Amino acid sequence: MFENAYELIVYIMTALGIYDSIFRVFEVLGIEYVLRIIIVFVEIVVLFAFALVTIMFLTWMERKVVAMVQARYGPMVTGPRGLLQPVMDGVKLIGKEDIIPDKADRWVFTLAPFIIFIPALLVFIPLPFGDSLVISNFKIGLLYIIAVSAISPIAILLAGWASNNKYSLMGAMRAVAQDISYTIPLALAAIAIVMFTGSLSMVDIVTAQGGTWFGVIPKWFIFLQPLGFILFLIASIAEMGRIPFDFQESESELVAGFFTEYSGMKFAMFFLAEYAHLFAVSGIVVTLFLGGWNGPAVPFIPVQITSLVYFLIKTYAVIFFAMWLRDTVPRMRIDQLLGLGWKVMVPVALLNLLVTGLLVTAGVI
Amino acid sequence: METDELILNMGPVHPSTHGVLRFRLRMDGEIIKNCEIVMGYLHRGTEKLGEMKTYLQFIPYTDRLDYISAMPNNYAYVKAVEELAGIEVPQRAEYIRVMIMELNRIVNHIVSIGSLLMDLGAATMIMWGFRERETALQLFEQLCGARMTFNYIKPGGVREDLPEGFIPKLREWMKDMEKRLVDYEQLINDNEIFHMRMKDIGTISAQEAINYGLTGPSLRGSGVDYDMRKIEPYSIYPDIDFKACTRPEGDSYARYIVRIDEIKESLQILRQVIDSMPEGKIVSNAKYGIAPMTGSPSSVMTYFPRIFTPHAGEVYSRIEAPKGELGFYIVSDGTTKPYRVKIRSPSFCNLTAIPKMVQGLRIPDLIAAFGTIDVVLGDVDR
Amino acid sequence: MNAAEELKNALPNSVVSISFQLDKPLAIIKKEDILKAATIARDMGFVHLSVITGIDYCDRYEVVYNFLSYVRKQNLVLKVILDHNNPVVDSLTSIWKGADWLERETYDLVGIKFSGHPDLKRILLPEGWAGHPLQKDYDMKTEQFVTIGDDGEDIVSTDGSNLLRRKYHGN
Repeated sequence: MFENAYELIVYIMTALGIYDSIFRVFEVLGIEYVLRIIIVFVEIVVLFAFALVTIMFLTWMERKVVAMVQARYGPMVTGPRGLLQPVMDGVKLIGKEDIIPDKADRWVFTLAPFIIFIPALLVFIPLPFGDSLVISNFKIGLLYIIAVSAISPIAILLAGWASNNKYSLMGAMRAVAQDISYTIPLALAAIAIVMFTGSLSMVDIVTAQGGTWFGVIPKWFIFLQPLGFILFLIASIAEMGRIPFDFQESESELVAGFFTEYSGMKFAMFFLAEYAHLFAVSGIVVTLFLGGWNGPAVPFIPVQITSLVYFLIKTYAVIFFAMWLRDTVPRMRIDQLLGLGWKVMVPVALLNLLVTGLLVTAGVI
Repeated sequence: METDELILNMGPVHPSTHGVLRFRLRMDGEIIKNCEIVMGYLHRGTEKLGEMKTYLQFIPYTDRLDYISAMPNNYAYVKAVEELAGIEVPQRAEYIRVMIMELNRIVNHIVSIGSLLMDLGAATMIMWGFRERETALQLFEQLCGARMTFNYIKPGGVREDLPEGFIPKLREWMKDMEKRLVDYEQLINDNEIFHMRMKDIGTISAQEAINYGLTGPSLRGSGVDYDMRKIEPYSIYPDIDFKACTRPEGDSYARYIVRIDEIKESLQILRQVIDSMPEGKIVSNAKYGIAPMTGSPSSVMTYFPRIFTPHAGEVYSRIEAPKGELGFYIVSDGTTKPYRVKIRSPSFCNLTAIPKMVQGLRIPDLIAAFGTIDVVLGDVDR
Repeated sequence: MNAAEELKNALPNSVVSISFQLDKPLAIIKKEDILKAATIARDMGFVHLSVITGIDYCDRYEVVYNFLSYVRKQNLVLKVILDHNNPVVDSLTSIWKGADWLERETYDLVGIKFSGHPDLKRILLPEGWAGHPLQKDYDMKTEQFVTIGDDGEDIVSTDGSNLLRRKYHGN
């Protein structure tokens, strides 16, 4: 309905009858752009708060899902059913000594946790959380997301190198090798989607998935691109670095991989980034293949709210799948993973792209 | 391109070394060129302690060797002492011993499989396994008051008779275990990634396995049809119908499958033992040795001298412990304390083959092969 | 004919005497011929070297080898008697790889040396430990302290001086 969340906020304020008067104040002062900045700033604060709450919830959810699968309770003491456990974890981590190893590269060592956290949040910017609920609708949203996620291996490499620890270095090397081999099938699977929409904008991709076939089957791209969906899902789990592909950490081999030497808040940053990444990647999977925020309309409730709910339900379903997978399967070996990436997934993704291209050109779909 | 070799110290504190073991790896990137094992971080001088304690006093120390399956340790030592001193054991005591050792074998294999899967990154199995293990440990607790370090089997019999309701509870547990075993196999056996990680990893041929002195499931996984319970039948094993589980492949997967099969086989043995458990005494009450008994016996049932002196002589006695051949070499000089106690621990001897197994493989393979060898560091370092 | 008698027939000059260790056939071998006797024992089917035990008898050392045949289901015990001042015996590592650690352990704890062993060093105790604990005259009163040095090697001392906190190494 609206281009982005900014316009939505303006609309709401206008409807409440306060926008005009506020705007006039700034207009008299001749600084209308300050109002724009304030509104955008509010958006970012809301997004940041949402991300943090989500991350905290996800850490709790992960522990609960693991506990469910493993026939135990998980956290139960702090708060109702242990819901406040993430807060306590945060408090504990803040209270820990911040250790920088003697022989570490101090600057890079300190910088790496921040570098890894920022791209994890930047990915949220073009992600449509619901109808009109997007910070900025870039024309190149998908490209931007793939580009920004490519920053995190750099941060991992920095962390691994700066720690001056052999396990960290090996974890970092693995992470980079893994990321290079999985960004390609990831991007190739996403390009097949772009062939349908003709646009890289995330909002356009979601809009293209509105409606149904025969009134029953929703027009999600998963039905047009089943192979692409599987490729994208595998590649995103590899990108997230979760079991069965968690080679950057693989705690039974490399102790904790690239963040072996980190403690306290810096460790927490890696931890938070991991879950931010989990949410972001699941959101992208939902946006590209599972219809984004599309869903049946509910009378009397604004579409912005229902769409947000639909988006969250679908995203949490994907997250649950990732967590479920983690509890069920063992870890692969790094060389097996790279083999799978280069020898299976890249050719299959190219084939998928070719077939999709032919079908689109022929006008079949 | 010329690259340097990387020396990686895995351990003594590392999540996958099951304790305080240290691998000194010479690596070419991720490939292991040479693996050297450094141990002794848990060395407690058990053999020296054996020379300073009386025969009965030493039994609790055997519990601390392989603390995952302490009952066979008890038994192996007691069996050696009994052979040395010529002590006869009542039939009921033998049945209780075998029952409790087979229960302990199942517990040991559950832990072994669980920790193997945890090392491979699937933490669910160990939690599931510990659920069943917990119930079994409660059974042990009922029996002798301890969950892991039992001090239950003693020369001439066992310490206490079965408590009331023990057998029905054990039957219930066995029924439960059979169901859970199906769950385990569904979770693990058909998993493609598990196969990728385990097959053709850490392969050792039958010839080499014997040459390296491997025993237990590790040797049976290489296709050697051996089982101390069959080759040198002791206790009541001659009367029991069971088979030695073997697999021909000799890789990590084979060793894993052997353990799963042995759980089934042990359940089979348990069933037979429970069904034919005789009534009678649990401790032999003949007098042995010349030393007078100290202290007063708690009841007639548990009468056995606390201090006794076997004839001068030496004995090597071995049993099939869950991890392999567990043997005690005891030299007696005719006093109340052994002159020399030597422990042939399966973990120590099986570990010898690890450097050979992992040559040219990667770190994750080392973890997988090491997990299937199933060592307990208390048993390695003694 | 039991296994020890067979061995005596094969090597009449090397076998000093034969008897029984409880029910297991025992052959006492001249110490310089142990490698030869072990090879023959292996060819007789005793492929499994169970354990190597070193015993300090104050006037002599004894090394006992327990063998088992998986096929014949029989035991064989070989024993060599060593001089107390210079306990050296040939290593069996050339026949059994598994003898490697067993011999290292015997060297470490009992102090018997195995000539021809590829890497005869301590295995359970750290390098530099004074004495062999399973010798009967081992001094148990002296305390020994072990720490790990900068290079990862163990440092042993009897006065605890190595336990002091290491100084900060500035770059």
